[in-house]
Amino acid sequence: MKYAYYPGCSLEASAIEYDTSARAVFRALDAELVEIPDWNCCGSSPAQAVDYLLSLALPARNLALAETMGIDTVVATCSACYLSLYQVEKHFQRDPKVQAEVEEVLAAAGLQYQGRVRVRHMLDVLANDLGPNVIAARMKRDLKGLKVAPYYGCQTVRPYPAYDAPDQPMTMDIVLRALGAEVFPYRLKARCCGGINITTAKDVGVKLVSDLLLAAEGADCIATVCPLCQMNLDSYQHDVSRFLGREIRMPVLYLTQLMGLAFDLPPEEILLNKNISSPQPVLDKVR
Amino acid sequence: MALETFDLTHATRKHDFAEALIPDRGKLFTCIQCGTCTASCPTAFAMDYSPRLLLRMIQLGLYEEVLHSKTFWMCTTCFSCTVRCPRGISITETFQELKRQAVYKGMEKKIDSARFYQTVMDVVRRTGRMHETETMARWMLKPEVLKADPFRVFGFAPLGLALLRKGKMPLIPHKIQGVDQIQAMFDKAAEIRARKEVSR
Repeated sequence: MKYAYYPGCSLEASAIEYDTSARAVFRALDAELVEIPDWNCCGSSPAQAVDYLLSLALPARNLALAETMGIDTVVATCSACYLSLYQVEKHFQRDPKVQAEVEEVLAAAGLQYQGRVRVRHMLDVLANDLGPNVIAARMKRDLKGLKVAPYYGCQTVRPYPAYDAPDQPMTMDIVLRALGAEVFPYRLKARCCGGINITTAKDVGVKLVSDLLLAAEGADCIATVCPLCQMNLDSYQHDVSRFLGREIRMPVLYLTQLMGLAFDLPPEEILLNKNISSPQPVLDKVR
Repeated sequence: MALETFDLTHATRKHDFAEALIPDRGKLFTCIQCGTCTASCPTAFAMDYSPRLLLRMIQLGLYEEVLHSKTFWMCTTCFSCTVRCPRGISITETFQELKRQAVYKGMEKKIDSARFYQTVMDVVRRTGRMHETETMARWMLKPEVLKADPFRVFGFAPLGLALLRKGKMPLIPHKIQGVDQIQAMFDKAAEIRARKEVSR
């Protein structure tokens, strides 16, 4: 299986371990991720807050580039990128005038998009194309006994019910069970992490992250599939501890890092040394 | 909690306000004020008006009060309200449109958020991608953002250092080859927007 891969800006920097582990896991599952050459920022919520047309035209450029690769499916690892790319088609269907305007914007760059590619979240591909049987067959090390809280966040599953239930998603639970892990009953699994609020309104962001970390107490780690969710949950535990008046320590791993552990991939393909909160408690349980 | 009241006799009301907000237009009038949006909203506690109340204010055309509100700036675009709204109103998209209108009209209350989004777009225009380090630095050093909280930079210093130590904060931005295409797209989008403003 071959997919056009859209990493997104965070995966080049703060989420480098997500990029590396996702590529390695797909390789291990004999699925090919071919990076879209010269991709650009999808615009995400900043574009949506500044210019509606650009918020569709920026992702559409990436889809136009993918189309020339002759691959019909684009896989996005970041949930915000996924939604930006995915909703191009939805907005075109809703309003043909918008489509015409976006086409005009693309034409200014000498580009054309025919609408032939499908956009999917990496989680969707892992759970539904590859599936639990293929994943389980590749396992070298059972994650038995490891309690994992599956954290989906928001745009991974909302607003479109493309592959999972927007309020009660299950796809990550299925992948985790295939790895032999115990799925922690995480009641805030699809509650928002606060997104960019942690930067622009820090007290608000820290409160949301505190709720999420508290609800995961009892799990050995949290698994995420979005670089912003991971960053917020992983990197602000010091602020959360100060806010709550007690120490909170919780490893926050990308789902693909956990898969890498289960597949026994080499450390340089999992990059657990990049996580801010120590993943040592996870390693102690798995080894 | 006391019920919010507005003096509709003397308020500045824009009667086509709801219609002007894409994508729902008249659909906003079907809001039954059930409050599911507010109950589902993770940041409602930090808003000046709850999402439910803001929708009512939009229905009533309370243009000034709505656009000056910080409610929609606190929206994280998590779409919890949108997927649960029994009337199928795209509340999140409505709030995104409010962000855009508030900025165009210079009525934004949450300057920090508005400037952050603009900074990201400036960096994307220049390089084609969102370089995290450059974006954060440019945003925090903007005069009005600095003025709003001069000590903010110190709050982020520990995280910056941690990311730097982990090799997760590259300092040199990557410029894509098609950056000319990106700039042409920014210009064309602005041109189309101006064209529509004139015809409105």
